Amino acid sequence: MIEFKEFSFRYREGEAPVVRDITLSIPDGCFVGITGAAGSGKSTLTYAINGIIPHCYPGDFYGSVTVEGLDTVEASLTDISRVVGSVCQDIDSQMVSTVVEDEILYGLENFAVPKDEIPARVDEALGAMGIADLRDRTIDSLSGGQKQKVAVASVIALQPRVLVLDEPTAELDPASSVAVFDLLARYAREHGTTVVVVEQKIALLSDYADMLVIVDGGRIRFADTPDAVLAHSDELLALGVNVPRATTLMNALGAQGLYGGPTVRNVAGAAAALKEVLA
Amino acid sequence: MAKFLEYVPGNSFLHRMNPSVKLICAVLFAIACFATSNLAFLLVLLVGALVLAASCGLGRETAGLCRAVFAFSLILAVVILLTTPHGVPLVPLPWGFIGTGSLLAALTVIVRLMAAAIPLFLVFYVTKMNDITNSAVKQLHVPYKYAFTFTSTVHFIPVFMNDMAGIMEAQTARGVEFDGSLVKKVRLMIPLCVPLLVSSVRKTNSAAIAAEVRGFNLRTRESGYKDYPLGAGDWGALAVCVLVLAAAIALAALGL
Repeated sequence: MIEFKEFSFRYREGEAPVVRDITLSIPDGCFVGITGAAGSGKSTLTYAINGIIPHCYPGDFYGSVTVEGLDTVEASLTDISRVVGSVCQDIDSQMVSTVVEDEILYGLENFAVPKDEIPARVDEALGAMGIADLRDRTIDSLSGGQKQKVAVASVIALQPRVLVLDEPTAELDPASSVAVFDLLARYAREHGTTVVVVEQKIALLSDYADMLVIVDGGRIRFADTPDAVLAHSDELLALGVNVPRATTLMNALGAQGLYGGPTVRNVAGAAAALKEVLA
Repeated sequence: MAKFLEYVPGNSFLHRMNPSVKLICAVLFAIACFATSNLAFLLVLLVGALVLAASCGLGRETAGLCRAVFAFSLILAVVILLTTPHGVPLVPLPWGFIGTGSLLAALTVIVRLMAAAIPLFLVFYVTKMNDITNSAVKQLHVPYKYAFTFTSTVHFIPVFMNDMAGIMEAQTARGVEFDGSLVKKVRLMIPLCVPLLVSSVRKTNSAAIAAEVRGFNLRTRESGYKDYPLGAGDWGALAVCVLVLAAAIALAALGL
């Protein structure tokens, strides 16, 4: 369980709090997508979960954030990292090794995972991300999507109970983005891992997330199931959140009384719904 | 061609050598180069280093390195030429002369720097960064933080070079012409050091945070997964390098 209680944070060099009065509960095993306009405070929320604030970026921290019972202010960054696995936005900076296998080994060695467990952990992580064939490749020779999968694999090898990812598909094409989310969702389902993803692609998030959190100006505007959140397409558009056009269209038809079905998230759904309406 | 100081996979003798032994041998070789001023001996060492590079298929990378070292050592060579009036005078100068001894000294500096640099650079081309770190920690008892800092610094050199190339490309697209004299190029590059510095600090900070959230502070000497046993080839290479160093010291002691 991840729990934000009246959490506000102002970076030391900032003039105003970046996030304010955040109260949110994320149950175990939940797949949460956080989105919002640039500068809305999305990344700060992930930093609060993995302890980067206040441990690496100091500032004024109000309220509390607990992860699996650990208060992220009182617990050390190392203790938090035993529970929370993080994939940063800048993948190239995250890589500490020259070869894929060594990158996976890095965290396992740091956490002193017993040597007889390590081969199985490496195999499982590479397999879960579908990159077993990249094991001996140099990091430099990988594409952006492959690097992303290596970064995720290096974290899931540590078997964290919570996985935090900051814009994991920022540099990926749509097909690679879907592939990364597919693998993530499957891994989380199989291991009961709580996943918190910051992502700009709301359509993608909606397909995988159990809960969608919309942040605006440092405050949570919506935190609900994707269907419930996307029902507010007009408000989301006003907040700068890029709602799928199919959703906007069907919501507009709904407002005219022409459609009364569930929220539509994609073109295929809209086509099926329109066929039903026109029949 | 591999990027500067980036690992090149392979199965040559150098690739298979123990990382710590590689490092020690390269350092011994470099010390030997600086211990003697015997040009013939230094030329033998340079040829040996080039053969080593060719044996692991790194001829092109080494040629590039030699060019860079040559350019740097040329500056030193010019200074030596102008400030070391030895041997038979060839060119008179207002403050002395350039002699045969000056030429020999300048040539010695160039050969010495090239011979010393090649093995040190080869170590990074033929060894995975993690193996250098882990082996240094396990076998040389270097504290992990220092070993990691050192290898991370090397790791970031090509990253920063790529960043600089990117910044220069962006400036070129906006009409800045980097072609021309070296002085002009340097003058145009100096203002670009600020964005490079900013992005470098950001990247370094991100890397430090990323390492920390993956348990960097928990690392101990025993927690490394791989072992790095020394084979007969490693002992042999060590013996050769010790002999080379001994020969260099002997030549220096004999004044040859």
